[in-house]
Amino acid sequence: MSQPTAICPNCGAQIRFRWSSAIQTTCEYCKSILVRHDVNLEKVGQVADLPPDISPIQIGTEGVYRDTAFQVIGRIIYSHDVGAWNEWHLMFSNGSSGWLSDAQAEYAVSFLSQPETPLPAANQVYRGWEFVQQNVRLAVTTLTEASYEGVEGELPFQYWDKAKCPFADLRSSDGRFATIDYTETPPLLFLGEFVEFESLRMVNLKEFEGWTA
Amino acid sequence: MSKFYMIYSSLVAGGLFYSGLTGWSFGSYDEVKGVPKSVRDNPGAYRSHYASHARYFGGK
Amino acid sequence: MNAGSRKIVPRPKALNCPSCGSAIELRAMGAAATVVCSYCSSTLDATNPQLVILQKWQSQMTVHVQIPLGSRGSLFGAVWEVIGFQQRGITVEGTDYYWREYVLFNPYKGFRYLSEYENHWSFVQSIPSLPVHGVNSHNRPTVTYSNLIYDHFQTAQATTWFVIGEFPWQVRVGEVVAAADYVSPPYMLSSESTANEITWSRGVYVPGADIWAAFQLPGAPPAAIGVYSTQPAPVDNRPGRPWKLFFLFSALLIAMMIFFAVKARQETVLDQTYTYVASTPGEKSFVTPPFVLNGTSANLQVEVTGMDLQNEWAFLGMALINEETGQAYDFGRQISYYFGTDGGESWTEDNHSDSATLPSIPGGRYYLRIEPETEVGTGGAVSYRPIKYNVKLVRDVPFYFRYFLGLFLLLLPLPFLGRKGANFESLRWNESDYGVPPNAIVWQSNSSSGDDDDE
Repeated sequence: MSQPTAICPNCGAQIRFRWSSAIQTTCEYCKSILVRHDVNLEKVGQVADLPPDISPIQIGTEGVYRDTAFQVIGRIIYSHDVGAWNEWHLMFSNGSSGWLSDAQAEYAVSFLSQPETPLPAANQVYRGWEFVQQNVRLAVTTLTEASYEGVEGELPFQYWDKAKCPFADLRSSDGRFATIDYTETPPLLFLGEFVEFESLRMVNLKEFEGWTA
Repeated sequence: MSKFYMIYSSLVAGGLFYSGLTGWSFGSYDEVKGVPKSVRDNPGAYRSHYASHARYFGGK
Repeated sequence: MNAGSRKIVPRPKALNCPSCGSAIELRAMGAAATVVCSYCSSTLDATNPQLVILQKWQSQMTVHVQIPLGSRGSLFGAVWEVIGFQQRGITVEGTDYYWREYVLFNPYKGFRYLSEYENHWSFVQSIPSLPVHGVNSHNRPTVTYSNLIYDHFQTAQATTWFVIGEFPWQVRVGEVVAAADYVSPPYMLSSESTANEITWSRGVYVPGADIWAAFQLPGAPPAAIGVYSTQPAPVDNRPGRPWKLFFLFSALLIAMMIFFAVKARQETVLDQTYTYVASTPGEKSFVTPPFVLNGTSANLQVEVTGMDLQNEWAFLGMALINEETGQAYDFGRQISYYFGTDGGESWTEDNHSDSATLPSIPGGRYYLRIEPETEVGTGGAVSYRPIKYNVKLVRDVPFYFRYFLGLFLLLLPLPFLGRKGANFESLRWNESDYGVPPNAIVWQSNSSSGDDDDE
């Protein structure tokens, strides 16, 4: 795995990329958000103090999903009425990227997918709306106006300082999961499934004082 | 509660079984002990407890 | 910091409530969205380090928190810490029903909930998949999840009345959600929905004793009141069991009846015709020849038939005397026959045959002593007319009536027992939206106790 390196334009620290396709990353030391233009990095913003984080997952956690190893290399942090949640960016051993949604300790792995049918507009979708993708019937269970809280690590696209982030979460009757991300136009579709924490066999997790894993 | 029914039914069944074994019935009698063998030859010597209990019942 | 470092999240520090200044302990290390100050009961935004006040306390309710916040307990294979508590309620036909929920947290497992109503406890967890809606054979709604069918129990508007501690979502006192419960004892599937969101969870009934043991709470758990929607039915109260016992014992009774009928000897030991003349002088009593009664203890049927009476009664004083032991069984039978005409209609009072069964006569050699007597006419006149009669003794006759009496006795308690067995299920469904179990036949069409929807 090639690990290109670069220098943080803000503080001069060495930035090491775990993923060759990373578009954006953050500097661990000065918390600058850096966008990659070939070899050079451009500072585009700053990450504010992140909210306290109970997720046992951290950047550098490794695990296995469906027999493919992954490493957690980045995250986007959102918050809304239900509290904060993380979208962990996973880099798989075959070079592809996926997302591990981590909300109130419910975990789902999903991947950016090309929608088979046009997605509903943000003002058309409602709780209970159903559609079928890849032979799975999904219904909208949650409509959220999330707030962007911050980013960390390597991401496959440019993403920072978003204002309101509307999402529609969908579930099926057999454990499948989907999200329609309305922060982009056209909206993005992510398809995946719920997973049990233990099934990912993650290592290099955070430890919590007073708790044993 | 079906435990009580089990006990109750067992008592009913047990009672019926006992009655079958011993030949129990509703008839009643007075038991008199020590009737001498001489009564066979002289029935009059034995005084039935019931003779004096004869009553008139019946008839309009 | 690099990829290999272990990041250890320290225990939360105490922060101060911006409304009253008291110390607030955050146990869920930031997982919580809101925290309620236990002193002034203001709801605070736990995601904001400034603990912005979201709602000042409204409710004046007194609530008993049975598991103190901060308690840790071991349930279903993991350790949980109680981080939050709320009391919610619904109103059905004018009556308020309250229940309580405890938020359990484990950083590696996530959140679970303990729900308590009338001291019935359930362990609840969110489920990722959507159940499939359907109806049962009586048109009652069901949902199916993981190959189990749950019957709809109740749908109501649930209001949050009291909160304390931390919650993984933003709670507000006064907040209302539509709550629907489906049951398959001991499991429950519940949905909570608002305009923009629906969440499903699955609960399992947990006996109070298990909760007390898990959290090592002092004393004994308070007794549960009534029957809860998912409470497992006690084994020997399952409806149908007394009926099974009835059929079992009925079969036993019939078998006994047949057994004793077949076993009965029905030996005729005496069958003689005698003649009685009242006017004959001397001793009227006489004895029969001896006969043997077989068997250790059996009945003896004494039949007197064919007594030739004319508007009179006769009395036979009889004694069954054991030739060897001298034991006598003394009894008497009254025979009568009356007839006449009464305003053109003839009547008879006919008791000229008689049968009696003597119980439990021991075996041995016996004879019968008979002393006949008839009524004396007016003025002491005695009859010259000979009266014939037949005496028949049968050893060991079978009985049938008593077994039918026995069957009747077995049948008697069933309406009360059957009701008790079915009573548990009736009690369970009594508090539901339907009032009756899901397979009960309802004669009225479409009368539900829910709200009418004509707005």
